[in-house]
Amino acid sequence: MRFPKSLAPAAVFALATPHLLPAETGRDRPDLRVPIQKVKLGNGLRVLLSEDHSAPTYSIAVTYNVGSRDERPGRTGFAHLFEHMMFQGSANVGKGEHFILIQNYGGSMNGTLEMGLYLEADRMRSLAVNQANLDNQRHAVQEERRLGIDNQPYGKTFEAILDTAYDNFAYKHAPIGSMEDLNAASVQDVADFFRIYYAPNNAVLTLVGDFDPADALARIRKHFEPIPSQPAPPVPDTTEPAQKSERRRTLEDAFAQTPRIDIVHKIPPGNTPDWYAVNVMSQILASGDSSRLYQKLVKEKEVAVSVFGGAQARRGPSLASIVVMPRPGKDFAEVERLVYEELQRVKAEPVADWELTKVRRQERRATAQQLPSTLFRAIEIGTSAVYYDDPELINSYDDKIEAVTKDDIQRVARTYLNDVNRAVVITVPKPKAAPAAAPSH
Amino acid sequence: MDCPNPSRLLLAGLVAAAPLAALAQAPPADTKEVPLSKVERKNRVPVSKDVLRVKLPRPVEASLRNGLGVLVMEDHRFPAVNVQLLIQEAGPIHEPAGQPGLASVTAQMLREGTPSRTSRQLAEELARLGATLFASASFGSDAATVNASGMSDNLEEWFAVLADVLVNPSFPGDELAKLKQRLKVQLQQQRSTPFFLLNERFSRAVFGTHPAAVVAATPESLDALAPEALARWHRERYVPQDAILAIAGDVRAAELMPRLEKWLEGWRRTELSPVFPPNPQPVSGRKVLIVDRPGSVQTTLALGNIAIERRDPDYVAVVVMNRVVGGGPAARLFLNLREEKGYTYGVYSNFLALKYPGPWRAGGDMRTEVTEGAMTEFLKEIGRIRDEKVPDTELEEAKRSLVASFALSLEQPTQLLGYAITRKVYGFPEDYWDTYPIRIMAVTADDVQRVARRYVDPESLQIVAVGDGGKIRAVMEKYGPVEVYDTEGRLVAADH
Repeated sequence: MRFPKSLAPAAVFALATPHLLPAETGRDRPDLRVPIQKVKLGNGLRVLLSEDHSAPTYSIAVTYNVGSRDERPGRTGFAHLFEHMMFQGSANVGKGEHFILIQNYGGSMNGTLEMGLYLEADRMRSLAVNQANLDNQRHAVQEERRLGIDNQPYGKTFEAILDTAYDNFAYKHAPIGSMEDLNAASVQDVADFFRIYYAPNNAVLTLVGDFDPADALARIRKHFEPIPSQPAPPVPDTTEPAQKSERRRTLEDAFAQTPRIDIVHKIPPGNTPDWYAVNVMSQILASGDSSRLYQKLVKEKEVAVSVFGGAQARRGPSLASIVVMPRPGKDFAEVERLVYEELQRVKAEPVADWELTKVRRQERRATAQQLPSTLFRAIEIGTSAVYYDDPELINSYDDKIEAVTKDDIQRVARTYLNDVNRAVVITVPKPKAAPAAAPSH
Repeated sequence: MDCPNPSRLLLAGLVAAAPLAALAQAPPADTKEVPLSKVERKNRVPVSKDVLRVKLPRPVEASLRNGLGVLVMEDHRFPAVNVQLLIQEAGPIHEPAGQPGLASVTAQMLREGTPSRTSRQLAEELARLGATLFASASFGSDAATVNASGMSDNLEEWFAVLADVLVNPSFPGDELAKLKQRLKVQLQQQRSTPFFLLNERFSRAVFGTHPAAVVAATPESLDALAPEALARWHRERYVPQDAILAIAGDVRAAELMPRLEKWLEGWRRTELSPVFPPNPQPVSGRKVLIVDRPGSVQTTLALGNIAIERRDPDYVAVVVMNRVVGGGPAARLFLNLREEKGYTYGVYSNFLALKYPGPWRAGGDMRTEVTEGAMTEFLKEIGRIRDEKVPDTELEEAKRSLVASFALSLEQPTQLLGYAITRKVYGFPEDYWDTYPIRIMAVTADDVQRVARRYVDPESLQIVAVGDGGKIRAVMEKYGPVEVYDTEGRLVAADH
């Protein structure tokens, strides 16, 4: 996946909706190129239009250039909190009405584009930020945290990895935030955050699918152009000081029944030549049952039951991760040693031709399978525009993967897969205090 | 899942971007205060009230000489091909008693070796071709499935691998031994999640002696599986005459059919005809089953009972009834328990309707302190859908949302194919999906009330609560006789 949703430091709000009879599909030869028309409104809002009449659907994505990396200490969880606040109503939309309207009126003709634009514009212009809404949403987020983290096995592992691997606060904390920080947020804090980051000049509106571009652009101008721009938000510093040595942490988990080893290496930002090489290398090492680590650890040595991994794409220092679920009773040090042996092999010898072919073909297949969704395209285009100022990345991504050579892979392996660049988090089942007493009657 | 469950499809799109997050209305935690704000309809947003009409692209349908049913949905926009193979006799529903895992392990072993390819060669060849290939047989299903995908320009090469593992698996003993080791650890791992514990207990409660009561193998049943048993299961059950091969993407149906005959010529028809176990019946008498998971900060709840099978004439009315009660974030359960009360991040209802009747159920994860409040509201909503007619506007909007998200799902060729498979499996008429929106819109408030009274009975609810037993038992005892299980699935206490 190109933009792991749990990490994506940009906020995306999107809807997908059908509005006509499905057309017969029978075009002769696939043109995989996604056309993108770019317009900038007077208030700085970037508009990206991608016309496609092959299915009777369209999607809107409004991507704001804001994420957890923009948060400061003591105020974590803000960017994610807004994912909730954005449905709390605005000048002309009642609390919760957004969801109801999209659910109930998304599937009819013509009117849906108008409705979608109206809903997005109204909240960009006039989000309802007040004490009642804030208190409510705090609780929703806290329930989300309990559900996804506090009540699940390995729930806290992700936070531990970020905290161990990173020094700079921007990436050191997780997007969900802490219970304490969420409780400390004031209405003024939240209103300020909204004014600074949820402004038209800090957003990209992407429209993909079955619409008339001239008509759509006129509607977009009508709804969005009157929204005033704001001073440009500060650009966060995500640079990391040089790491001096390997970092390790062991975490006890009350719910996990078997251990887990997470090994991460710091790598360059996404959409850089080295990042693409690391990505290809990660797939050769840890993607699927043909991967080197699966064959070695799971099949040959039987020290693990599963292995997976990949390269995260951030705009700043990113992480390549390898996750091993060892068989209970196996020596962690031995499991790690086998992993590092495979890393050494990637440094020492060129990868095989078939391994490069594998990654190239799998990436192209994945693209071909995801592209039918207009929502996928809208989110992908908008995110690339905000992340890299490169909305066309959807059209060049597979070529960039294709350009990675065996030499590139050896070079990035030698440069980044070293112990001074590494953090290891081992999650172990928490020892049971005592045999659970049978509940009394 | 065969039902279109449109609200879930729409949500899937929304979740990718702007999750459910949205609507929560929590009052300050753990208090009985009046909510600070409620859902509000300002009705100023321009909406169109046209009702959607659809006509689905039809797949090309044919049968091979061995009886295999083939569906092909051409889509030349993108150079990829998706393959779904449904082998209707090879699912765990047909397993002999006491051998849970036979069907699912057989399916998983397909990729672990053939006379001409080792496990590793299969993995590497598929990877090199850029193809995916997975075989599975889910607990509760009557079928095994083989799903594959790849590019259209080397379809012949990767389909040959699919055909090899389908027709010639060799079930090597050393690979089986390795797989068993991995599966045993997975059995242990899944006991750490509330989700698994809830499903295990709920399925046992509602399905009783029906094979769908079983949701996992056991270490003992895995130990007992021998290669010969898998080979026999494969020989007897992986048969083409009731199987459906569905292909979507960049292929030409007319060219493909003769090639499929050739590629699958080794797959022979047999005389097997399916015998189904007797249908499960709704359980009588309300019961409370607690799974004690010490340290839980939430109670994971499910309340329900056996309802209908897929061919039941009440199916469409139950779709609408379920949407009103709990099918999505604009449904009653969500608006009440999350919006108004702030008990949870998400709360829904759903139902399973297959060749045999499955359960309707409501549920969600509530922080432990509000378990009682949540139970009160679940029972209130179940009472309301039975006792009161759904108001016109609410019903109209519910039906409209079902049609809207059904239409949105048509964007995906694989989804179109999924609908065609459902039509074939259940023998529905050709225009079944074309008329689906019309039939949804025709459901009346009387229909909804009738099916609610018939299939959602508060007196016979099977109620499962996974949570901290010490904290929730006293609360849960108010709703029926209690049995307490540990996370290993053992009964540790019961009311007399």
